[in-house]
Amino acid sequence: MNDSVAPGKLVLAGIRKRYVREGRLYPVLDGISLTVGEGEFVTLLGPSGSGKSTLFRLIGGVERPDEGRISIGGKETTGRRGQISYMPQQASLFPWLSVAANISSALVTAGIERRRAAALAEEWLERIGLGDVAGAYPHVLSGGMQQRVSFLRALLMPRGVMCLDEPFAALDALTRAEMQTWLLRLWEEERRSVLFVTHSIEEALTLSDRIYVLSPAPARVLREIEVPFARPRRADVWTEPDFVELKQEVLGLLARRGAAHGV
Amino acid sequence: MASNAWRKTLLPAGTLIGLLLLWQACCMAFDIARYTLPAPWDIARRMAEDGPRLLDQTWSTLRLALKGIGLGIALGIGSAIVFHLIPGVRSALSPIIIITQNIPLIALGPLLIIWFGFGLLPKLILLALVCYFPIAWSMLAGLGQAEPHLREYLAMIGASRLEVLRRLELPASLPYLFSGLKITATYSITSAIVAEWLGASEGIGHYLVLKSKGYDTTSVFAAIVCIVTLSLAFYGLAVLLERLAIRWRPGRPAAAEGGKAS
Repeated sequence: MNDSVAPGKLVLAGIRKRYVREGRLYPVLDGISLTVGEGEFVTLLGPSGSGKSTLFRLIGGVERPDEGRISIGGKETTGRRGQISYMPQQASLFPWLSVAANISSALVTAGIERRRAAALAEEWLERIGLGDVAGAYPHVLSGGMQQRVSFLRALLMPRGVMCLDEPFAALDALTRAEMQTWLLRLWEEERRSVLFVTHSIEEALTLSDRIYVLSPAPARVLREIEVPFARPRRADVWTEPDFVELKQEVLGLLARRGAAHGV
Repeated sequence: MASNAWRKTLLPAGTLIGLLLLWQACCMAFDIARYTLPAPWDIARRMAEDGPRLLDQTWSTLRLALKGIGLGIALGIGSAIVFHLIPGVRSALSPIIIITQNIPLIALGPLLIIWFGFGLLPKLILLALVCYFPIAWSMLAGLGQAEPHLREYLAMIGASRLEVLRRLELPASLPYLFSGLKITATYSITSAIVAEWLGASEGIGHYLVLKSKGYDTTSVFAAIVCIVTLSLAFYGLAVLLERLAIRWRPGRPAAAEGGKAS
């Protein structure tokens, strides 16, 4: 199959990671295997502290796994940086750069020529309706607008896989729903490979093609769920009976594991 | 707003003028000898009479201070970056640097003159030593203060060490650099005076020595006015540069300044 050389394909095989703290071993990831196909939106769903951020650091090459391999686009990238684009929980915009410069400087890091990077930033900010604030410093933007800029910055980086680490966790409920709709629309136009982390079941079901449900630490994949709703997806997909059923299933899965762990 | 402006400018200015008037009144009322304490009016008259010479001497001190502070800034920024990038160098050199900072200028000055003569060089060394420390140490602190989540972001997208320095650490250290610069700005004038006092043929420090040896107290006060003005101007310049360089946080530099002053 030709699928294995698709540039956006991410494969994790048997990833284990332990930390030593005060002489004790803490296993964080206990044999995680997963794939994100080209142009697929995959979500990692798990309780807080299930090692999702650690997994991201491994994929980003900032840390190395104790066991297991990571590959992107068919090439082994275990412990190698600069292979992904990244959207963190906090918008992480540089306060001394204008909104446009925040985007273009990240593109320069990713190897795009300076003038082209500036033009791309300008063009896309206009396109998502933030052309007016392109020259402003990030602190004048609201939390939701900052996250839009942060998403755009990740989207425009020419890298195979986008990793989004609970990007909406810090937003209020209304802004969050609005941002989900916005992201859904933009992503469905662009169709990039996305690995998305959240602990909101609704968010996972609304956005993803597939979901991996993780256990509390040490994290294992409890179940892989194909999300059956059609694309382009409606923002009110949560009103469908299937949605409620899936949500209950996942809730049950997490609750049972929680009880088994004595939480 | 109006009461704020009153508190910030009018009140201190009023106090200063009041003090000058009180000083003038005391000198007149108690008939104090001019060589003990000259009245403000006498000082002002002397400054007007001796104006061209004072200006000349002040200008010479200003040039010396600018050269010294320039050298101190260049060395300070340069070594802060090196220390930050190579922690071993910092550990190796910091005892020596701290020792140099604790040798009194009064002792160091004559030694430098013995070694390097009465020219510009010993004065420049003295000034650079004084200016170096606040710049280097505050900048070094600033380089390590960059926001952890921005550092994490750059690591995740695979930015190189040099990019982290250029895009994150250097801009983040600017507020610290400027708080060091504001300290250095006033130090540099005082040290320039000390350097000139130790051995020079021009400059306001030299003028000060000459006049105090001749018991010309009025001229000594005139020199003090020039020195204080110079110091304030340097400080003001540092504040102005800070405003120009750090424009991304309107309203916040003032709060940060208040925090540091306390």
